[in-house]
Amino acid sequence: MRQIAIYGKGGIGKSTTTQNLTAGLAELGKKIMVVGCDPKADSTRLLLNGLAQRTVLDTLREEGEVDDLSQIEKKGFGGIRCVESGGPEPGVGCAGRGIITSIGMLEDLGAYTDDLDYVFYDVLGDVVCGGFAMPIREGKAKEIYIVASGEMMALYAANNICKGIQKYALKGGVRLGGIICNSRKVDRENELLREFAKELGSQLIYFVPRDNEVQRAEIKKKTVIDHDPNHPQAQEYRNLALAIENNTQFVIPKPMTQERLEEILIEFGLMDSIKDNYHI
Amino acid sequence: MSGAIEQPRFTCALGACQSVVAIKKGVPILHSGPGCGVQVSRIIGQGEGYAGGSTMPCTNSEEADVVFGGEKKLRNVVENSFKVIDGDLYVVITGCTAAITGDDVASVVGSFQEEDKPIVYVEEGGFKSNNYVSHSRVVNAIIDQYVDKFNEDREVIPGLVNVFASIPYQDPYWNGNLEQLKRVLEGIGLKVNILFGNESEGVSEWKSIPQAQFNILAGTWAGLDIVKHLKRKYGTPYLHFPYAPIGAKETSKFLRAVAEFGELDQNKVEAFIDREEKKFYSHIDKMASFMLEFRYGIPRRFYSLADASYSLGFSKFLLNELGIIPGIQFIVDDIPEKYQESVLEEFSKISDLQRRDVKVVFNPDAGLDQLELLEDAKDYEDKRLLILGSSWDKHIADELHADLLIISVPVQHRLVMNCGYLGYEGGLRVIEDIYDRVLATYR
Repeated sequence: MRQIAIYGKGGIGKSTTTQNLTAGLAELGKKIMVVGCDPKADSTRLLLNGLAQRTVLDTLREEGEVDDLSQIEKKGFGGIRCVESGGPEPGVGCAGRGIITSIGMLEDLGAYTDDLDYVFYDVLGDVVCGGFAMPIREGKAKEIYIVASGEMMALYAANNICKGIQKYALKGGVRLGGIICNSRKVDRENELLREFAKELGSQLIYFVPRDNEVQRAEIKKKTVIDHDPNHPQAQEYRNLALAIENNTQFVIPKPMTQERLEEILIEFGLMDSIKDNYHI
Repeated sequence: MSGAIEQPRFTCALGACQSVVAIKKGVPILHSGPGCGVQVSRIIGQGEGYAGGSTMPCTNSEEADVVFGGEKKLRNVVENSFKVIDGDLYVVITGCTAAITGDDVASVVGSFQEEDKPIVYVEEGGFKSNNYVSHSRVVNAIIDQYVDKFNEDREVIPGLVNVFASIPYQDPYWNGNLEQLKRVLEGIGLKVNILFGNESEGVSEWKSIPQAQFNILAGTWAGLDIVKHLKRKYGTPYLHFPYAPIGAKETSKFLRAVAEFGELDQNKVEAFIDREEKKFYSHIDKMASFMLEFRYGIPRRFYSLADASYSLGFSKFLLNELGIIPGIQFIVDDIPEKYQESVLEEFSKISDLQRRDVKVVFNPDAGLDQLELLEDAKDYEDKRLLILGSSWDKHIADELHADLLIISVPVQHRLVMNCGYLGYEGGLRVIEDIYDRVLATYR
């Protein structure tokens, strides 16, 4: 069983990428569980064709306890098992603790069955506290992919996430599998991401081009593969799925200093000089 | 303070709930995990009082309260506390769990305050400090959120003073001590808000805090935040007497300082001091024959493991009135560094007669302090020693065949009711209790 955590800046397309990619893996006949670790609980919407399931924490709040996996798990596209951790209302309580509670509960309920090929954790933007690092702690995800684009803040966040990964990598077995580019059609994006990944000691595992088909499918609450299997964008996600299936490069990332990150951005034309504001 | 210490002689910030218990019909409401309140009241506090110990309402935060926030539960506990406990003042104190989660306690309590309920809140978080510090925060919160409401158009009452001295329950003799202070201050003509314990009029007394002519802090550092706050808020000046006044000399000194600060009637003050001193020394006179008989069997040297206030107060009294020499003074109240110099300064002038160097160790790790004490005591094997400490020190006192007078928490080996060691009468109680231990070993 490969356990994989997907991180990246908020709004970069982690959930969209995760679901489209797992749809691709499901087509390859893989058995998959997707665990949404975002209080917004929208990590499985495309797989379930809507926000169709109660989150672990909602169930806990309403029932007091969760006795059975069936209360919190639903099967979606291609038999993918979907779980949403959920969280407290915005501004209240501790979402990080919520994730710890949820994952603990999944373990207690025996969700990690031997027949699974993949478990994906779709985690909220930044690793703000211990709770959001839960999926990469000992015994959980060993592989991490970071979704990024050629935008400065996305790269900044990715670099920061690498700092967190490095901490856990040094004491545990977690490794960075690569950067997934979810293109924003920024100039020289592919080259920039390749250089960025290389600097981290990792790789750009796949460049997903921007295509409005993704949005159209999302409106229909579907992954691209589900919505229009013959669309070229569906093939892109299949390619991404294959790249991950065949990936062998797992590294402890070497996060860079702020100065070095800015140098790369200048090199690729995003900034004229450090003194200037960056324009995207 | 970071790192582990052995034998703590104070509690986490939550311990300030005991200050609320010490206010007549004061009700602490803990927004904390289960067991915090009981832990605290077992370390500091003998008996439960009106709403202490296991009576204290508590939200007993559990996992769901962390994840989803504990505000709803807090509201519920507050509402029901009003129904089942007849209190004059309710004080919500948050523990670690709610403080980390960031529950909006202000808005929950605020809604009750809008209904004019007598309730205030203090966002403590046990980790924020120890209870010496949080005591001041609780008192200041009561002043800001409750007392201040009654302050409109009120004028200063000449001769009215607020007294801040013993920290309730942290000082095991707080009730008796405050009674003694009130008695002597009334003796020199003041009207005294003692605020905690039996001699206080309770919450109605608190309401007149802003009207005081001046404030008195009798203690080394804990409580300074209160008198400073009152000075900023109401412009009330304060007198800081930097230790616990014990026995005739120190109490007279204390009263004279107060009289000078408050510009009181000199004759009245001196007449009271004279009367008290005569009484005090008449008892010492009576004791002379006993002292003579036991001159080879009474303690000659004492160690203390206590807070700065007691350590200074006892040292001055024992040295200057009973001739017992201060050995190492271990100050275990985690006194902030900025106040340590003033303690050393005060020790340096401990005797009027000769220069005397008293070794002072500031270390809240009483386990280490005890090791140092045992090492030092080897030089005095032929002397009868006295240890002023807590129940933690019973075993070393036994080992050294020393007399132990418990003046610090935890108190497990003695029952405390109205005993107080401050003032004239308190000094006599100290003498009784020290020599009582000598007589108890008489064969």
